[in-house]
Amino acid sequence: MKKLIFFILFSSLITSLASARSTGCKEGNCDNGYGKWVYTDKTTYEGEWVATKKHGQGTETWPNGYIYKGQFKESQWNGIGILFFPDGSTYEGEWANGFMNGEGTFTWSDGKQKKGIWKNGSFQE
Amino acid sequence: MVNKKKVFGKMEVSKNSFKTLSEPVKQFGGLVGIIILIFLTFFVLNNIFGEGDELVAKMKIEEERIAQERKLNKLISSLPSGVLVSFDGTDNFRLSDELYEAVCKATKLIPQRAIMGANFLNFRAHEIYTINGNKIDETFVKWDDEKNKCFAGFVVSGNNVGVDETIKVSGEALSFLSTGIDTRVYFIKNF
Repeated sequence: MKKLIFFILFSSLITSLASARSTGCKEGNCDNGYGKWVYTDKTTYEGEWVATKKHGQGTETWPNGYIYKGQFKESQWNGIGILFFPDGSTYEGEWANGFMNGEGTFTWSDGKQKKGIWKNGSFQE
Repeated sequence: MVNKKKVFGKMEVSKNSFKTLSEPVKQFGGLVGIIILIFLTFFVLNNIFGEGDELVAKMKIEEERIAQERKLNKLISSLPSGVLVSFDGTDNFRLSDELYEAVCKATKLIPQRAIMGANFLNFRAHEIYTINGNKIDETFVKWDDEKNKCFAGFVVSGNNVGVDETIKVSGEALSFLSTGIDTRVYFIKNF
Protein backbone atom coordinates (compact mmCIF):
# COMPACT_ATOMS: atom_id res chain seq x y z
CA MET A 1 0.00 0.00 0.00
CA LYS A 2 2.81 2.39 0.94
CA LYS A 3 4.53 1.57 -2.34
CA LEU A 4 1.35 2.40 -4.26
CA ILE A 5 0.93 5.77 -2.52
CA PHE A 6 4.60 6.55 -3.16
CA PHE A 7 4.21 5.59 -6.82
CA ILE A 8 1.12 7.82 -7.25
CA LEU A 9 2.82 10.80 -5.56
CA PHE A 10 6.01 10.27 -7.57
CA SER A 11 4.05 10.03 -10.85
CA SER A 12 2.12 13.24 -10.13
CA LEU A 13 5.37 15.01 -9.27
CA ILE A 14 6.98 13.91 -12.53
CA THR A 15 3.85 14.88 -14.52
CA SER A 16 3.66 18.35 -12.98
CA LEU A 17 7.39 18.87 -13.50
CA ALA A 18 7.10 17.82 -17.15
CA SER A 19 4.07 20.10 -17.59
CA ALA A 20 5.89 23.01 -15.96
CA ARG A 21 8.88 22.48 -18.25
CA SER A 22 6.73 22.49 -21.39
CA THR A 23 4.96 25.77 -20.59
CA GLY A 24 6.17 29.30 -20.01
CA CYS A 25 8.93 31.16 -21.84
CA LYS A 26 10.55 28.57 -24.09
CA GLU A 27 12.81 30.73 -26.20
CA GLY A 28 14.31 34.19 -26.04
CA ASN A 29 13.27 36.99 -23.72
CA CYS A 30 9.61 37.10 -22.69
CA ASP A 31 10.06 40.15 -20.47
CA ASN A 32 11.53 42.72 -22.81
CA GLY A 33 12.58 41.63 -26.26
CA TYR A 34 11.71 38.76 -28.55
CA GLY A 35 10.54 35.44 -27.15
CA LYS A 36 8.26 32.44 -27.42
CA TRP A 37 5.73 31.67 -24.71
CA VAL A 38 3.80 28.39 -24.51
CA TYR A 39 0.57 28.34 -22.50
CA THR A 40 -0.76 25.29 -20.64
CA ASP A 41 -3.40 24.67 -23.33
CA LYS A 42 -0.59 24.68 -25.97
CA THR A 43 -1.42 28.14 -27.29
CA THR A 44 1.84 29.77 -28.33
CA TYR A 45 2.91 33.35 -28.81
CA GLU A 46 6.10 34.20 -30.58
CA GLY A 47 7.01 37.82 -30.93
CA GLU A 48 7.90 41.02 -29.20
CA TRP A 49 7.50 41.59 -25.47
CA VAL A 50 7.51 44.84 -23.51
CA ALA A 51 7.31 44.77 -19.70
CA THR A 52 6.18 41.10 -19.74
CA LYS A 53 3.29 41.94 -22.10
CA LYS A 54 2.82 41.02 -25.75
CA HIS A 55 3.58 44.26 -27.49
CA GLY A 56 4.68 44.87 -31.07
CA GLN A 57 4.75 42.29 -33.85
CA GLY A 58 3.92 38.71 -33.06
CA THR A 59 2.13 35.49 -33.93
CA GLU A 60 -0.35 33.78 -31.64
CA THR A 61 -1.31 30.21 -32.49
CA TRP A 62 -4.22 28.53 -30.78
CA PRO A 63 -4.33 24.73 -30.50
CA ASN A 64 -7.67 24.61 -32.31
CA GLY A 65 -6.28 26.26 -35.43
CA TYR A 66 -6.78 30.01 -35.04
CA ILE A 67 -3.62 31.91 -35.96
CA TYR A 68 -3.22 35.66 -35.52
CA LYS A 69 -0.26 37.37 -37.15
CA GLY A 70 0.14 41.06 -36.57
CA GLN A 71 0.40 43.81 -34.08
CA PHE A 72 -0.19 43.49 -30.35
CA LYS A 73 -0.68 46.15 -27.74
CA GLU A 74 -0.79 45.41 -24.01
CA SER A 75 -1.19 41.68 -24.84
CA GLN A 76 -4.24 42.30 -27.03
CA TRP A 77 -4.63 42.08 -30.80
CA ASN A 78 -4.34 45.72 -31.70
CA GLY A 79 -3.28 47.43 -34.93
CA ILE A 80 -2.92 45.72 -38.28
CA GLY A 81 -3.19 41.96 -38.32
CA ILE A 82 -4.49 38.88 -40.03
CA LEU A 83 -6.50 36.14 -38.37
CA PHE A 84 -6.63 32.69 -39.94
CA PHE A 85 -9.68 30.67 -38.93
CA PRO A 86 -9.33 26.86 -38.66
CA ASP A 87 -11.39 26.27 -41.83
CA GLY A 88 -9.22 28.58 -43.95
CA SER A 89 -11.30 31.74 -43.66
CA THR A 90 -9.33 34.90 -42.92
CA TYR A 91 -9.78 38.45 -41.70
CA GLU A 92 -7.13 40.92 -42.69
CA GLY A 93 -7.27 44.46 -41.46
CA GLU A 94 -7.48 46.60 -38.40
CA TRP A 95 -7.88 45.31 -34.86
CA ALA A 96 -8.62 46.97 -31.53
CA ASN A 97 -8.97 45.38 -28.10
CA GLY A 98 -8.80 41.88 -29.55
CA PHE A 99 -11.63 42.41 -32.04
CA MET A 100 -12.04 43.32 -35.69
CA ASN A 101 -12.32 47.07 -35.43
CA GLY A 102 -11.77 49.40 -38.37
CA GLU A 103 -11.17 48.66 -42.01
CA GLY A 104 -10.76 45.05 -43.00
CA THR A 105 -11.56 42.22 -45.36
CA PHE A 106 -13.15 38.96 -44.33
CA THR A 107 -12.56 36.13 -46.78
CA TRP A 108 -14.53 32.90 -46.41
CA SER A 109 -12.86 29.59 -47.18
CA ASP A 110 -14.82 29.42 -50.47
CA GLY A 111 -13.36 32.74 -51.62
CA LYS A 112 -16.36 34.94 -50.89
CA GLN A 113 -15.32 38.32 -49.49
CA LYS A 114 -16.72 41.09 -47.33
CA LYS A 115 -14.75 44.32 -47.30
CA GLY A 116 -15.52 47.39 -45.25
CA ILE A 117 -15.71 48.77 -41.76
CA TRP A 118 -15.94 46.44 -38.77
CA LYS A 119 -16.91 47.25 -35.24
CA ASN A 120 -16.29 44.78 -32.40
CA GLY A 121 -16.34 41.84 -34.77
CA SER A 122 -19.47 42.90 -36.64
CA PHE A 123 -19.60 44.20 -40.19
CA GLN A 124 -21.06 47.69 -40.46
CA GLU A 125 -23.52 47.75 -43.35
CA MET B 1 -79.14 -19.65 15.13
CA VAL B 2 -80.02 -22.60 12.95
CA ASN B 3 -77.97 -21.15 10.06
CA LYS B 4 -74.95 -20.68 12.31
CA LYS B 5 -75.17 -24.29 13.36
CA LYS B 6 -75.33 -25.32 9.68
CA VAL B 7 -72.21 -23.29 8.80
CA PHE B 8 -70.24 -24.60 11.74
CA GLY B 9 -71.37 -28.06 10.82
CA LYS B 10 -70.10 -27.69 7.25
CA MET B 11 -66.75 -26.35 8.51
CA GLU B 12 -66.45 -29.30 10.85
CA VAL B 13 -67.08 -31.68 7.92
CA SER B 14 -64.39 -30.03 5.69
CA LYS B 15 -61.98 -30.02 8.67
CA ASN B 16 -62.54 -33.72 9.09
CA SER B 17 -62.17 -34.43 5.35
CA PHE B 18 -58.87 -32.41 5.37
CA LYS B 19 -57.66 -34.53 8.25
CA THR B 20 -58.41 -37.67 6.27
CA LEU B 21 -56.11 -36.55 3.42
CA SER B 22 -52.68 -38.15 3.20
CA GLU B 23 -49.59 -36.20 4.36
CA PRO B 24 -48.01 -35.68 0.83
CA VAL B 25 -51.29 -34.30 -0.51
CA LYS B 26 -51.51 -31.92 2.44
CA GLN B 27 -47.91 -30.77 1.86
CA PHE B 28 -48.55 -30.27 -1.86
CA GLY B 29 -51.68 -28.29 -1.10
CA GLY B 30 -49.70 -26.14 1.33
CA LEU B 31 -47.01 -25.53 -1.28
CA VAL B 32 -49.58 -24.52 -3.90
CA GLY B 33 -51.20 -22.24 -1.32
CA ILE B 34 -47.90 -20.54 -0.52
CA ILE B 35 -47.12 -20.07 -4.22
CA ILE B 36 -50.54 -18.52 -4.84
CA LEU B 37 -50.03 -16.27 -1.82
CA ILE B 38 -46.63 -15.13 -3.14
CA PHE B 39 -48.08 -14.45 -6.60
CA LEU B 40 -50.98 -12.55 -5.09
CA THR B 41 -48.63 -10.50 -2.90
CA PHE B 42 -46.46 -9.55 -5.88
CA PHE B 43 -49.56 -8.82 -7.96
CA VAL B 44 -50.87 -6.44 -5.30
CA LEU B 45 -47.42 -4.82 -4.78
CA ASN B 46 -46.93 -4.44 -8.52
CA ASN B 47 -50.31 -2.76 -8.84
CA ILE B 48 -49.46 -0.36 -6.04
CA PHE B 49 -45.80 0.44 -6.78
CA GLY B 50 -45.00 -1.06 -10.18
CA GLU B 51 -45.03 0.79 -13.51
CA GLY B 52 -45.76 -2.25 -15.66
CA ASP B 53 -45.39 -1.70 -19.40
CA GLU B 54 -44.12 1.80 -18.87
CA LEU B 55 -41.18 0.47 -16.85
CA VAL B 56 -40.39 -2.17 -19.46
CA ALA B 57 -40.41 0.50 -22.18
CA LYS B 58 -38.12 2.71 -20.09
CA MET B 59 -35.72 -0.18 -19.50
CA LYS B 60 -35.64 -0.94 -23.22
CA ILE B 61 -34.80 2.69 -24.04
CA GLU B 62 -32.06 2.70 -21.40
CA GLU B 63 -30.62 -0.55 -22.74
CA GLU B 64 -30.59 0.87 -26.27
CA ARG B 65 -28.89 4.05 -25.01
CA ILE B 66 -26.19 2.03 -23.23
CA ALA B 67 -25.62 -0.11 -26.33
CA GLN B 68 -25.37 3.03 -28.51
CA GLU B 69 -22.95 4.65 -26.05
CA ARG B 70 -20.75 1.54 -26.04
CA LYS B 71 -20.71 1.56 -29.83
CA LEU B 72 -19.74 5.24 -29.90
CA ASN B 73 -17.05 4.76 -27.23
CA LYS B 74 -15.57 1.92 -29.29
CA LEU B 75 -15.54 4.18 -32.32
CA ILE B 76 -13.97 7.09 -30.42
CA SER B 77 -11.16 4.90 -29.10
CA SER B 78 -10.45 3.75 -32.67
CA LEU B 79 -9.94 7.33 -33.91
CA PRO B 80 -6.44 8.81 -34.06
CA SER B 81 -5.62 11.27 -31.27
CA GLY B 82 -5.47 14.88 -32.39
CA VAL B 83 -7.54 17.23 -34.49
CA LEU B 84 -10.33 15.74 -36.59
CA VAL B 85 -11.83 17.93 -39.31
CA SER B 86 -14.86 17.73 -41.52
CA PHE B 87 -13.38 19.81 -44.35
CA ASP B 88 -10.50 19.53 -46.81
CA GLY B 89 -7.36 21.61 -46.97
CA THR B 90 -5.57 20.72 -43.73
CA ASP B 91 -3.11 18.07 -42.63
CA ASN B 92 -5.47 16.96 -39.88
CA PHE B 93 -7.44 13.72 -39.93
CA ARG B 94 -10.37 14.13 -42.34
CA LEU B 95 -13.61 12.64 -41.04
CA SER B 96 -15.84 10.77 -43.45
CA ASP B 97 -19.52 11.79 -43.48
CA GLU B 98 -20.38 8.73 -41.41
CA LEU B 99 -17.63 9.37 -38.86
CA TYR B 100 -18.52 13.07 -38.70
CA GLU B 101 -22.05 12.19 -37.63
CA ALA B 102 -20.85 9.59 -35.12
CA VAL B 103 -18.26 11.92 -33.60
CA CYS B 104 -20.85 14.70 -33.38
CA LYS B 105 -23.27 12.44 -31.53
CA ALA B 106 -20.54 11.27 -29.14
CA THR B 107 -19.18 14.74 -28.36
CA LYS B 108 -20.31 16.65 -25.31
CA LEU B 109 -17.47 19.00 -24.41
CA ILE B 110 -16.64 22.43 -25.81
CA PRO B 111 -13.27 23.77 -24.60
CA GLN B 112 -12.56 27.40 -23.82
CA ARG B 113 -10.63 28.20 -27.02
CA ALA B 114 -13.56 27.08 -29.17
CA ILE B 115 -15.84 29.37 -27.17
CA MET B 116 -13.37 32.26 -27.44
CA GLY B 117 -13.12 31.68 -31.18
CA ALA B 118 -16.88 31.80 -31.64
CA ASN B 119 -16.99 34.95 -29.53
CA PHE B 120 -14.82 36.80 -32.09
CA LEU B 121 -17.99 37.38 -34.06
CA ASN B 122 -20.24 37.99 -31.09
CA PHE B 123 -18.91 40.83 -29.02
CA ARG B 124 -21.89 40.91 -26.63
CA ALA B 125 -21.40 37.23 -25.79
CA HIS B 126 -17.68 37.87 -25.29
CA GLU B 127 -18.44 40.72 -22.89
CA ILE B 128 -20.83 38.66 -20.75
CA TYR B 129 -18.43 35.72 -20.86
CA THR B 130 -15.50 37.78 -19.55
CA ILE B 131 -17.54 39.82 -17.06
CA ASN B 132 -18.80 36.60 -15.48
CA GLY B 133 -15.37 35.03 -15.16
CA ASN B 134 -15.60 32.86 -18.29
CA LYS B 135 -18.74 31.17 -16.97
CA ILE B 136 -20.93 29.25 -19.40
CA ASP B 137 -24.54 28.43 -18.52
CA GLU B 138 -25.00 25.62 -20.98
CA THR B 139 -23.27 23.96 -23.90
CA PHE B 140 -24.80 21.75 -26.57
CA VAL B 141 -23.70 19.59 -29.48
CA LYS B 142 -26.49 18.37 -31.74
CA TRP B 143 -26.74 16.48 -34.97
CA ASP B 144 -29.25 18.00 -37.40
CA ASP B 145 -30.82 15.20 -39.43
CA GLU B 146 -32.42 17.57 -41.94
CA LYS B 147 -29.28 19.55 -42.73
CA ASN B 148 -26.91 16.61 -42.18
CA LYS B 149 -24.69 18.87 -40.13
CA CYS B 150 -23.36 19.08 -36.61
CA PHE B 151 -24.25 22.16 -34.61
CA ALA B 152 -22.65 23.25 -31.37
CA GLY B 153 -23.03 26.23 -29.15
CA PHE B 154 -23.28 27.70 -25.72
CA VAL B 155 -25.37 30.05 -23.65
CA VAL B 156 -23.92 32.89 -21.62
CA SER B 157 -25.90 35.04 -19.27
CA GLY B 158 -25.24 37.74 -16.76
CA ASN B 159 -25.48 41.34 -15.89
CA ASN B 160 -23.85 43.67 -18.37
CA VAL B 161 -23.90 47.37 -17.37
CA GLY B 162 -27.06 46.94 -15.32
CA VAL B 163 -28.89 44.82 -17.88
CA ASP B 164 -29.54 41.09 -17.45
CA GLU B 165 -28.76 39.38 -20.73
CA THR B 166 -28.81 35.84 -22.06
CA ILE B 167 -27.08 35.15 -25.35
CA LYS B 168 -27.00 31.90 -27.27
CA VAL B 169 -24.08 31.44 -29.64
CA SER B 170 -24.27 28.57 -32.07
CA GLY B 171 -22.76 27.45 -35.32
CA GLU B 172 -21.56 24.52 -37.32
CA ALA B 173 -19.08 22.32 -35.46
CA LEU B 174 -16.43 21.74 -38.09
CA SER B 175 -13.55 20.29 -36.16
CA PHE B 176 -13.03 18.17 -33.07
CA LEU B 177 -10.20 17.11 -30.82
CA SER B 178 -9.82 13.44 -30.09
CA THR B 179 -7.99 12.77 -26.82
CA GLY B 180 -8.26 9.00 -27.07
CA ILE B 181 -10.76 9.01 -24.22
CA ASP B 182 -13.29 11.55 -25.47
CA THR B 183 -13.85 14.06 -28.24
CA ARG B 184 -14.33 17.83 -27.93
CA VAL B 185 -15.65 20.47 -30.29
CA TYR B 186 -12.65 22.43 -31.55
CA PHE B 187 -14.10 24.90 -34.03
CA ILE B 188 -17.58 26.41 -34.16
CA LYS B 189 -18.15 28.27 -37.39
CA ASN B 190 -20.68 30.95 -36.53
CA PHE B 191 -20.10 33.17 -39.56
